[in-house]
Amino acid sequence: MFKNRLTLKILSFLVFSDILETFTHFCFKKSALPESGLNITSLHEATVFIQAMLSSGFLWIGLVSVLATFVIWSAILSKIDLSVAVPIASFSYILVPLVSIILLGEQITFLRWIGILFILAGVIMVSLSGEDKKAAIP
Amino acid sequence: MKMSLFYIILLIIATSACDTASQLFLKNSINSLSFNINGIRKLLRFLLKLALVPRVWFALSFSTLSLFIWLFVLSKADLNLAFSLDSMHYIFIAFGSHVVLKERVGLKRWGGTLLIVIGIVLVSLTGRG
Repeated sequence: MFKNRLTLKILSFLVFSDILETFTHFCFKKSALPESGLNITSLHEATVFIQAMLSSGFLWIGLVSVLATFVIWSAILSKIDLSVAVPIASFSYILVPLVSIILLGEQITFLRWIGILFILAGVIMVSLSGEDKKAAIP
Repeated sequence: MKMSLFYIILLIIATSACDTASQLFLKNSINSLSFNINGIRKLLRFLLKLALVPRVWFALSFSTLSLFIWLFVLSKADLNLAFSLDSMHYIFIAFGSHVVLKERVGLKRWGGTLLIVIGIVLVSLTGRG
């Protein structure tokens, strides 16, 4: 059974799903940003927080993006192992800092870039582990 | 007002655990279908069949719960910091995949997963520039 083979097609789906997820998180951060001054300690304040977020357009764009990501993600999971798909999806850790720099004005230090290299190495290693499994099954 | 780091970590453990549970339920449901998707029509049929698996709704519930906790964390913490601490869910996923889904998580896969976690922790240790 070669069901767990990681093909270039699945890999490109994973990257696309990552870009969508990055977009989702960007939207959610944007929708939560104006409420960051709020200190939520009671149920009433939580209601105010949720109401403020629901009125933000970014939240709804983010939710549509979540739905699209779910469909693509389900299709991916029908092809490969969960323990392969999830680590490879960590590619978004490279996309998120880039988006944070460009659109949110956050700064990325040199050490963070080294961390990103570690992530990249890990993603490559996990990608190759699928081939191991195929070989292990007689 | 910033929340203390302790509560942020606690909330991120909660959201990671919910996310892991959601992924395990989803993958388990998809495995039970053993469906081969090629083309849009097949994809739609797959989604329809998937929606009829009761466990999928557990997945969606956990996912929603995870999302709400996550949204709350995002309103309190820096996006980079929140993402960094969220890296613990890779370990949860690898462990859960092995124990619940009986996936064979070999040395290479564990190694790669740990490299990713180290990378994410490295990212989190560096302060803001």
